[in-house]
Amino acid sequence: MIGTFTASAALTEPARGDAVVRVSALTKRYGDVAVVEDVTFSLGPGTVTGFLGPNGAGKSTTLRVLLGLAEPTAGEALVFGRRYRDLDEPARRVGAVLESNDFDPGRSGRNHLRALALAGGISRGRVEELLELVGLARAADRRVGAYSLGMRQRLGLAGALLGAPHLLVLDEPANGLDPAGVHWLRTFIRQFADQGGTVLVASHGLAEVAQTVDQVVIIHHGRVIAAARLDQLAARGKTLEETYLELTSEVAA
Amino acid sequence: MSAHVRAELLKLRSTRTNLGLFAAMLGLVGFVIALHGFGLPTEALGSRPKQLGVFGRGELLGTLFAALLGALSITSEFRHGTIRPTFLVTPRRGRVVAAKVMASMLIGSTFGLLAAALALGVGSVAFATRGLEIRLDGGDYALLLAGSAAAAALWAGIGVGLGALVRSQVPTVVGIATWLLFVEGLLIGDLGFGDVGRFTPGALGKAATGQDPLLAPGLAVLLLALYAVASTAAGWVSTERRDVA
Repeated sequence: MIGTFTASAALTEPARGDAVVRVSALTKRYGDVAVVEDVTFSLGPGTVTGFLGPNGAGKSTTLRVLLGLAEPTAGEALVFGRRYRDLDEPARRVGAVLESNDFDPGRSGRNHLRALALAGGISRGRVEELLELVGLARAADRRVGAYSLGMRQRLGLAGALLGAPHLLVLDEPANGLDPAGVHWLRTFIRQFADQGGTVLVASHGLAEVAQTVDQVVIIHHGRVIAAARLDQLAARGKTLEETYLELTSEVAA
Repeated sequence: MSAHVRAELLKLRSTRTNLGLFAAMLGLVGFVIALHGFGLPTEALGSRPKQLGVFGRGELLGTLFAALLGALSITSEFRHGTIRPTFLVTPRRGRVVAAKVMASMLIGSTFGLLAAALALGVGSVAFATRGLEIRLDGGDYALLLAGSAAAAALWAGIGVGLGALVRSQVPTVVGIATWLLFVEGLLIGDLGFGDVGRFTPGALGKAATGQDPLLAPGLAVLLLALYAVASTAAGWVSTERRDVA
């Protein structure tokens, strides 16, 4: 499978000293079912990586293990060289949005952020700063139940950014955003990376990713089937979409 | 107070759920005590133990609602998915469970205290209206208030532990209510399991307010604390070990 396509050595080499994310031979089984199998990739600082694959490919499970919410069956997933659960002040290193609706509908946006900030040792001023940044300052005292999906996405992002992290992990962040929101998100991700931040964006959609990322890791049936920089794909005369469909349909067939 | 406890206190007071629980508790206490105080025949209210039984109903309701508050503090996070951001900020999950126990015990003790106080107030009005003599002294009142606060605090801890263990909201809430109101209230109480029934957690809460002449309130609190330790320890271990979807 991968033989049809030269994977980028930089992305799949497990050991790199300065790697922000290092996933090595990661396997996660639920009973007899391997949801993630022998996944290896690493991400350097300042990169934006699309983590692509069809629904059910194992993207979200990989992210949950990376972020300490689930335990690996084998292998390991490290951020800044450590297991997430061993980081001292994780919110100051890593920000993540895994689901678009992880809010209590009865709590206001401001109180949602304030509770996270308290637990993370982050100031109240920073909460206000982020409400401004994501354009929710005026809606901050309304209950999240009354927010649109786009507003929830932005509130989730604000929560992830509370600790001014160096790594941002986003699972399907463009779901529910209108075109202006998608544009805003792209610009934000680009700026974040230009300032040295690292971004890992999981998505099953290609359109919003192709314009934002430097490189992609494509996962299918729990295995990495391709990892490459976009310019490497371009050099082969293939678009991201062509490569993606070629690889995922090949494996499925 | 630790930042984590303050975060949990903010969560407890920033939705209407707990305000609703509090209002429902006060309403039920007022209703139940008024029903007993005004409705029961004079001979059923004459003796000191019978009066203790009526005034002590505040403890049962304070305990029930404190346990629900504790359970909801964690099951609502699993239900709404906020457990993910919570554990992302505090990946050492034991700290989250400990903070929830502390915060729920603090609010739970207030629930217990105010439920007992309202029961005393409504009961006194009912007795005075009917011209009945109250045979309780200052020590009884103090024990009803302090015991109720202690029992409700410990039951709030039990609730957090059960919620962490079960995770799912409806079974946890139904289980707690069924246990306190039906299993202990009707089965064990009425069928008379003798001394076994004396050491079930609901009965210990009652004994903490001085309603069991054979079990000292201090000892009852201590035994109830053991239940709370067991429940929160089980919830803590389960929370550390199980994946979060």
